[in-house]
Amino acid sequence: MTELVAGPLPTPTRHKVRRRRGRRTNPLTYVLLVLASLFAILPILWGISTSFKSESATLSDQGWIPADFTLENYRLVLFESQIPLYIGNTLLVAGLTVLATIVVAIFGAYAAARFRFRGKTTSLFLILMTSMIPGIAILVPLYFLAVNLGLYDTYAVMIIIYVAWQIPTVIWMLKGFFESIPDSIEEAGRVDGASHFRVMVQLIFPLAVPGIAAAAVISFVYVWNDFLIAATMISSDEKRLVSVGLYNYLSQYGIVWGQLTAAVVISIIPIVIVFVLMERRIVAGLSAGATKG
Amino acid sequence: MATAVHPGTDIRSVDAPPEPPTPPRRNAKRSGVGDRSPVGLSWGLVIPSIAIVAIVSIFPIIYAINLSLHDTTYMEVGEFNGFAHFAYIFTSPEGQAQILRSFVYVIGSLVIAIPLSLGLASLLNQAVRGRAFFRVMILMPWVVSQTVAALLWKWLVNPDYGALGLGETPFGRIDFLANPVLAMLLLIIVNVWISYPLATILCLASLQTIPEELREAAEVDGAGPFRRFMQVTLPLMKPTLFVVAIQLTLLYFNMVTLVYTLTGGGPLDATNLLSLAAFKQSFEFFNLGLGAAYSVVLFAFNILFGAAYIRLLRSEKQ
Repeated sequence: MTELVAGPLPTPTRHKVRRRRGRRTNPLTYVLLVLASLFAILPILWGISTSFKSESATLSDQGWIPADFTLENYRLVLFESQIPLYIGNTLLVAGLTVLATIVVAIFGAYAAARFRFRGKTTSLFLILMTSMIPGIAILVPLYFLAVNLGLYDTYAVMIIIYVAWQIPTVIWMLKGFFESIPDSIEEAGRVDGASHFRVMVQLIFPLAVPGIAAAAVISFVYVWNDFLIAATMISSDEKRLVSVGLYNYLSQYGIVWGQLTAAVVISIIPIVIVFVLMERRIVAGLSAGATKG
Repeated sequence: MATAVHPGTDIRSVDAPPEPPTPPRRNAKRSGVGDRSPVGLSWGLVIPSIAIVAIVSIFPIIYAINLSLHDTTYMEVGEFNGFAHFAYIFTSPEGQAQILRSFVYVIGSLVIAIPLSLGLASLLNQAVRGRAFFRVMILMPWVVSQTVAALLWKWLVNPDYGALGLGETPFGRIDFLANPVLAMLLLIIVNVWISYPLATILCLASLQTIPEELREAAEVDGAGPFRRFMQVTLPLMKPTLFVVAIQLTLLYFNMVTLVYTLTGGGPLDATNLLSLAAFKQSFEFFNLGLGAAYSVVLFAFNILFGAAYIRLLRSEKQ
């Protein structure tokens, strides 16, 4: 666990060096890697290409490099559309969701990793099993609930639902993380006379920051990409999230592809930056739940 | 490295790591100084999580089950009608076609996604120059939302203006979204595109835990790359592959957003899956009872797959 999260390549350097000297990498490996990369980014590249073409060029210029390079689409999307508002809404909702999820789940995860108490197995089972409930299956009841509680069409209802859906995953990831921290640290803290709660908050939580970061990013991406909740719980345009906003572009009469792809590019930039910066952490966090070491 | 961190193990072995002399539970409640597990604090820490999942997940699923057993007209819940909705889903030609399509979609996607992820993971596990770059490129679709994926692919395969020149091919004009078979094929391809990064990440993590010595030993024994993979790597990855297969199965089975935004179920209902029917019955046709029944069917399949998965993991461990 620790290894995976801190520096996720357990293969000792010795092997790498030996392999590199002893055996040349098969050129076929590179060919396949390039092909796979192309498959991965081709649709994105085509979107980027289109976003720099003028409205008429999107329908005539089928080249990958725009013949007439223009920033007009970006100007329209950034200054004359609702997309920046939607992105702001999404940042707000995703940020608050991450914060609330971590605050709620970190305590549960700590208790699950460190304490023994009657009913623990059952409560943990209950929490983790809710991740088996498909979101689509409870959309209608949630809609009723939101309407009856007066929460329909608010940021709060989205945040509450996202938090509840992220809790099982995040508890699971953080529990594994806490288990990788040696018990002796708590014992030392307790000997010094600190309470359980203080030991947890002041000694252990700071050590878990890499795990918390991974969990935070994964929850953030989840909210950023969700469509179902954002589409069913929100009706007013000024509270709309970006995924729904983009879809509305598409369903409108006559799609303006140049603007739409510019909006798509703008909407994926924040998340791509986070991904490139945090790729190792994210990979480690996602695999923590599923590997056997 | 911590052992066994996969969801299957938690259910029976959630207890904290063995702590030296554990005081009997009865004492733990009374004594203040020596106790290692403060019961009040433990519950205080867990209860917020339980409360929120109970309100947002458990209560609604019970509500949905109840709703699925009643007649509904728009928002009004009417008479108890037994299993009429379920009978419709399992016996009507429409319902059966949806179930069949869901299986075609899930199995078709799995058959491509799992070997692809396994292959990509082993490529990315090799010490090649620029590995970090390739990793970021190949895992990139993970950050693309289903809505955006649908938009980008729709534009890429557009027969008139798309990049692939599908308007004039040796086979004539190819319009993926107008042909029932091609629409399903495209749906599967895009589905694989958004989901293989996660599977690749899991496979990669598992590959990295296999000691290089094992493969080298097999090589010394004269095993070629293919035999090494089949006889050393694959058996060691089996537990991970189960996890991947189940996670993907659940993801695919419950998929609504991608289907809704890419094909909308068409053309001619060719991509109208169970999951999409659940969404459309509830939110487009306002047949809430029938929509809830579809949801419960999905939920039941989820439980079934999940139980199969826990079982497989357990038998694997023994």
